[in-house]
Amino acid sequence: MSGIDQVLAQAMGIPGVLGAGLTDWTSGLALGTAGRAPHDDHEAAAADTAEVVQAVVRNATFGSADAEGPGLEDVIITSAGGYHLIRFVRTAFDSQTCLHLWLDRAQANLALARLRLRELAAELVAA
Amino acid sequence: MTSLIASCPGAASPGPLDHLAAQRVTGALYAPNACFYLRDGAVYCVEGTASPGTGARLGAAGRLPAERWQRARETAGPTHRGGQFLVGEGWLTQGELEICHLGALLDAAFFALPLPPGTTSFTPGTAHWLGVVRAVSAAALQRATAHRRALLDRLRPWAAVDAAPVVPVAPADGGPSPATGRQRRLLESADGRHTPCELARALGQSAFLTLLDTRRLAAAGLVRMPAAPAALPRRRPGACHPVPPTTQSPPPSWQLPVPDLLETPDPDVALLVRLRTALEENL
Repeated sequence: MSGIDQVLAQAMGIPGVLGAGLTDWTSGLALGTAGRAPHDDHEAAAADTAEVVQAVVRNATFGSADAEGPGLEDVIITSAGGYHLIRFVRTAFDSQTCLHLWLDRAQANLALARLRLRELAAELVAA
Repeated sequence: MTSLIASCPGAASPGPLDHLAAQRVTGALYAPNACFYLRDGAVYCVEGTASPGTGARLGAAGRLPAERWQRARETAGPTHRGGQFLVGEGWLTQGELEICHLGALLDAAFFALPLPPGTTSFTPGTAHWLGVVRAVSAAALQRATAHRRALLDRLRPWAAVDAAPVVPVAPADGGPSPATGRQRRLLESADGRHTPCELARALGQSAFLTLLDTRRLAAAGLVRMPAAPAALPRRRPGACHPVPPTTQSPPPSWQLPVPDLLETPDPDVALLVRLRTALEENL
């Protein structure tokens, strides 16, 4: 049984991870952080992550209005130096949070990190 | 013991929450439609009248029956460990409690902040029965609320739907349809009698997002705007001072329009009125 801090601590064990966070994407509020953030600013990372997620969530292209149940899963941003991996957290009740990882491209395996983050998002709310 | 906290006017100046955070106090801050609980200056619980609380969200979703929530409240007692009890009984996981509680906290804070000056009172020592599940700094909470406010302000011309019953409009053939599943479910639950906040409480979902979606649906023409007043809002009679006939014409002086008279739900009329006001101010 894991809370936010335990899950973020586990996320820091993913190969190549530089930092991790849980953010409310409606407001950009960082609900929890671990490790480093770009420019050493976790709050800015949370706010920027929220902006990306808002752009994805409000547009029909990325999540069909007809779909029942969980729709959106991940948002992945790759750059020359790193990966940013964002995972929507699904809960039984209404909530708007996402887990996000900042990964060192030279060290990380994107496919593996995505699978681990999926497990952690489930573990965060699992009984 | 209750002490009144004086607050400074103006949005940018520090409010009661900033003062309490700076003093690292523990207790409850009572505002007109919400109560903020603080531990060492950090906010760990906000209960408001506009949005559904943690228990209502869990109950509406079928995740936790209302009896169990009530049981935790009764068991919490003077030690204020209701949250630990809920998790200890295996009724909720720690992660679920934290996420649901923070969501309810943010939603209640949105409708209460910024705190109107001179309307708050602080009671030191008062704690919430749930205990400290997770705390947020007052500064971060206020920034988060301002961010949400900015999102809503982008849809300002449709603000009239905020307080009115949500009336869905049948889309024309080939016309716009709801962009998201959340919006579609909102339209399904709208019965033409309940406001966005009432629907949010009934559904146990974020009142802020319900407002945002209602405005977006109104902008797309899928929710009816409340009826506009019959006539264009008028300036206050005599808003333009009569200029006495003199040889030198003094600059015309204007009074600010009466705000009430400028409230109109029609976005086009609102735009024209704002334009007129701006022109008058620059004469």
